[in-house]
Amino acid sequence: MAQEPASLDIAGPSPVGFRTYSDLSRAHRWYVSVRRFMLHKPLGALGVILIIMVSAAALFSSTIANHDPETIFKKVAVNPLCDPVLAEQALTDPTVRLKYPAAVLDCGGAAQPLLHVAPSSEHWLGTDVLGRDLYSRIIYGAQTAMLVGLGAALIATVFGIIIGVVSAYFGGTLDFIIQRFVDTLQAFPPLVLLLLFGQVIADISLRTNIISLGILGIASTVRIVRSAVLSARQEVYVSAAQTIGASDARIMARHIFPNVTAPIIVTFTSSIGIYILVEATLAFLGLGDPTRISWGKMIEEGRRLGPASPGVAFYVGCALTLTVLGFNLAGDALRDALDPRMRGRGGRAGF
Amino acid sequence: MKNYILRRMVVNVPVIWLVATLVFLATSVLPGDFVAQRLAAQDPTSTDAASREAQIKRVRQELGLDESIPVRYAKYMGDLARLDFGVSFANKQPALDSLKDGLPYSLQLAVMSLIIALITAVPIGIISAIRQDGPADYGLRFFAILALAMPNFWVATRALRYVVRWKLWDIPSSTSPLLWEDPVGSLKLFAIPAVAGGLASGAGIMRLLRSQMLEVLRQDYIRTAWAKGMRERTVIVRHALKNALVPVVTVLGLTLAGLLSGNVVFENLFGIPGVGNKILVAVRSRDVPVVQAFVIIIATFVVFVNLGIDLVYGLLDPRIRYS
Repeated sequence: MAQEPASLDIAGPSPVGFRTYSDLSRAHRWYVSVRRFMLHKPLGALGVILIIMVSAAALFSSTIANHDPETIFKKVAVNPLCDPVLAEQALTDPTVRLKYPAAVLDCGGAAQPLLHVAPSSEHWLGTDVLGRDLYSRIIYGAQTAMLVGLGAALIATVFGIIIGVVSAYFGGTLDFIIQRFVDTLQAFPPLVLLLLFGQVIADISLRTNIISLGILGIASTVRIVRSAVLSARQEVYVSAAQTIGASDARIMARHIFPNVTAPIIVTFTSSIGIYILVEATLAFLGLGDPTRISWGKMIEEGRRLGPASPGVAFYVGCALTLTVLGFNLAGDALRDALDPRMRGRGGRAGF
Repeated sequence: MKNYILRRMVVNVPVIWLVATLVFLATSVLPGDFVAQRLAAQDPTSTDAASREAQIKRVRQELGLDESIPVRYAKYMGDLARLDFGVSFANKQPALDSLKDGLPYSLQLAVMSLIIALITAVPIGIISAIRQDGPADYGLRFFAILALAMPNFWVATRALRYVVRWKLWDIPSSTSPLLWEDPVGSLKLFAIPAVAGGLASGAGIMRLLRSQMLEVLRQDYIRTAWAKGMRERTVIVRHALKNALVPVVTVLGLTLAGLLSGNVVFENLFGIPGVGNKILVAVRSRDVPVVQAFVIIIATFVVFVNLGIDLVYGLLDPRIRYS
């Protein structure tokens, strides 16, 4: 008797008469997976929500922020007659003071920048050390954070995959040499590497930071990819592909790579948070791009003023923490969902 | 075993050579050398251009910077082979000396951070694992993941602010005493950086220990231990923890290496004259021999810590055999 084909693999209505997961439309399947993820991994879902919020802040900064991040806000005069231009002249020129009535010149210190004022309906989180709107600056700072995080993670992942797959697939001398280079990159003190990068390129731009962080990240990605490929290489489907005469490139791209994506996705997600943290640290040390709005630099500015502006460092630090938290939570949830060792008994090990 | 150690040592030689070459290349392509940097810092108008040129030339010759890069590389490698790291451009002392001065401070900070990391991570990791999916587990895990997400320089500046505002203690600003010179003053200075650094690395260790404990607790020998009627304490500590700690050793070694290379952020914030601060100054002033010595020593340390970890693995886990 011929065996029935497994109904799960057939598209369209199943012969058994009930709808299975694979009967659902693609969009519906996507919806089911997302719902399942939200229900089973509430903290992972929180992470995803945080990531969506930061991404939205970075993509639509000008809409979400209510002020220009670089505008220095001046005090608004209480006295309607006051003329700030004349008032400023009057400070140095006594003839102006004699020419105009006192009411015009009395601006009560207007035209002075609004330095670190308390939160109000106009400035939601107050203003920073130069009188710029803090809320808007935090929103614009998300652009820098996301650029660095995604850019560095992308560089590290792309090069890490290529080097790792080739190294593990061919093995032998090539593998030995590549691994010594990876050892070198890992043994090199990372901060000195970043410092040297910053010194070689006279004016540090965001691109320099992204590239140097990405290069630093290649080493660990290569390690992870390599160990995954080493076990995938032993699988029967690889020898099957070799038997029918598939080329090495084809086997690596079509047979091995699709089977090692799980650890890569996890590393990619959780490393973004680390890159964002390191970039903030560099900016805090004054090694960031001076022209960009960076959360690390803002914390430094807040710290230098100390008790005079308690809010600045606090709010910016919260934004930074929540962003990194989002990527960490999402990375952990992905690890649980994709790592088969974490399934089964005990189930939800890790978040 | 002896063969294994020997082979690993031999494999490490090209790694250290690569590191040395890399740092040489990086420092020789740096725009602006030490001499130009130093003379630019002096008053540029005091001498006329010709005598300035002559002075630059003389100093460059003195420091051996006038030779071509291949010649310098050959000399550098020759010196390295004799474990001679050269002389610091800045104070004409052996390059190692300026790092040696900073080492006690960095070491004290590293050890204090590590102790704090361990005394928070180990109990929390155990409790979180044996109360898996309970409220305690969720709370502790959330704390850990939060501690990982908080930038440590931010935590340190917040803590510093509260200490100053509530006048908890005075942080020494002009002196930086070591623990064996002035225990109280030293603790006052090192407390915040040690706790801020320790919590972050502790959170990482806790998460690793927890997942390891969960894996070990599902092993057959743990069920056997329970079945024998052993006390919970014995099962957890003697049977489970001992085996769960093996991978933690790896992380500990690498954490120590990272902490030893100097925590530039904390040393900067609190004015601690540790290795991290020295290296920052050396890179900024292009004091090439000091940078090279630092990088090579840290890299050697990391490489041998890795070897040590692999050997300790074998001692802790007899299933691992070296071939």
